[in-house]
Amino acid sequence: MGSISSAFSIMTGALQADQSALNTVANNVANASTPGYTRESANFSENSPITISGTQYGTGVSFTGAISVRDRILEQRLAQQQQQASASSARLTALEQIQALFTPASGSSTSTAGNIGSDVTAFFSSFASLEANPTNNALRQQILSSASTLAGDVSNAAASLNAQQAALDQEASGVTSQVNALTSAIANLNTQIQSSSPNADAGALEDQRQQAIAKLAQLVGINQIATENNGLTITTTSGQLLVSQGLSYQLTTGPVGGLTHFFVGSTDVTSQLASGGGELGGYLTARDQDIPSALSSLDQLAYSIATAVNAQNNAGTDLAGDNGNAGNIFYEPTQVAGSASSFAVVMTDPNHIAAAALGAGTGDNSNITTMANLANQTLVNGQTPINYFAAFTSTLGSTVSQVTTENTAQNASVTQLQNLRDSLSAVNLNDEAAAMQVFERSYQAASQMFSILNSLMATTINLGTQTAVS
Amino acid sequence: MQGMPQVRNTDELKALVGEASQALARLDAERLEELALSCRALHRGLQPGDTQTMTPEAVREARRQMAAFGRVLEVTRGNLEVLRQIRSFEAGLLEYRTPAGPLPAAMEPDHGVD
Repeated sequence: MGSISSAFSIMTGALQADQSALNTVANNVANASTPGYTRESANFSENSPITISGTQYGTGVSFTGAISVRDRILEQRLAQQQQQASASSARLTALEQIQALFTPASGSSTSTAGNIGSDVTAFFSSFASLEANPTNNALRQQILSSASTLAGDVSNAAASLNAQQAALDQEASGVTSQVNALTSAIANLNTQIQSSSPNADAGALEDQRQQAIAKLAQLVGINQIATENNGLTITTTSGQLLVSQGLSYQLTTGPVGGLTHFFVGSTDVTSQLASGGGELGGYLTARDQDIPSALSSLDQLAYSIATAVNAQNNAGTDLAGDNGNAGNIFYEPTQVAGSASSFAVVMTDPNHIAAAALGAGTGDNSNITTMANLANQTLVNGQTPINYFAAFTSTLGSTVSQVTTENTAQNASVTQLQNLRDSLSAVNLNDEAAAMQVFERSYQAASQMFSILNSLMATTINLGTQTAVS
Repeated sequence: MQGMPQVRNTDELKALVGEASQALARLDAERLEELALSCRALHRGLQPGDTQTMTPEAVREARRQMAAFGRVLEVTRGNLEVLRQIRSFEAGLLEYRTPAGPLPAAMEPDHGVD
């Protein structure tokens, strides 16, 4: 057995180790509300034993430092889900604004851009009203008035969509400086971590790096690759290098076709960023996909109505006796693109509405009947104007619904992972096992519920098809 | 523990689905188990002809809620799978961890017969 002094030394060492562990606990408590702080656990190591007369004696334990209890795989999963949640949130906000343009608010018959569906119906109904009394000036004036309301609402909607696209362009552009600041900070932290803790957890520095990565993942879709000596390489989800060890690669912007495009070096990464996730992905998807799609539908509607109505008006005889050259009611578009923005009434004199058939007397109503019937013709991409607009709003509603569902699921996933990260940052394996058990129980109970509810919904309330979850 | 939910009509059924999605996000196992029990009881208590007619809007809303619940369940399964893999990876590390420093003589790699 060792001497009394060696025993005393062991006890002193143990006391010092306890004190250090207490400091670690105190540090955890002090930082309990610090965002991104990872709890630390005291790490002890057994001191080297001493051998006296062939017998080994222990020399106690020493505190070898606090280690952060983190799990990089979990952090990566969290970052991945976070970037998807951020993308769907940004896109959903934009989609809801688009939808508000075309959906009358509850209790109101008009939306911010009027009610285009009603406008289309009212416009073609005004032709039908003139059939009974083709020379009536008030009814002719009513046609120009309803044409003006329709054109005004469509062009206002197009203007609103263009303004929203410009706003999203600005939002997207503004993200660049934040991304660059974060990638620079991460590169800098990489250098510090690699020099100070190449083989161990870097504690506070690691927390700072993880926080910067979490913020970056909210902004843009990224992949993380752990490298030697605790380094980290970060790329966009499409593989463009953003951070490599101590170097960061800046995202730059430039105008292409009137919109801001994004570059890493000389490579245009705009479309990759759009599909990659993060707020930037959401903004770009709305800017480059959702808004152009809505604009294109409006363009098609405006183009088809304007060209068909103008052609039919020029196929009849007006009150002034013009045969086959009564003139256009709407501005005649030369191409589909831009037709919604330029949709406007150009006719000022209602006497130029050609109610009569070509060469017939001014009291004839044949041509106005044909014009009224345009409402039932498949003018717009094989659909009637009103059906085309209804299909457009229905598709938009369906997209909003899908993105809402995705957003709900991704936010739930982020919440789960944040809870789990907190649980797994606990100090012992028992806590970890308990957290896993709760997770498993929650999943099992929810699965059972889903199965029963699915069956209930399908059979008892005539929901029809069952929702499948593989 | 909260009270056992009683489901009497479609609105309450929708509320149940919504609450389940939220409880799953929070990983509130106890609440989810209560809700699952209620669903089972509701299913057992159903009589033939208990079918309720819903407006098209209500059907759409119910579909949307079930789709959201289904997606939450899917991402949960994804997260659970990640966790299981982490634990199995950690268990593997514990099981197969080699001691630090040079290998004992008995574990020296075999270079074969010269």
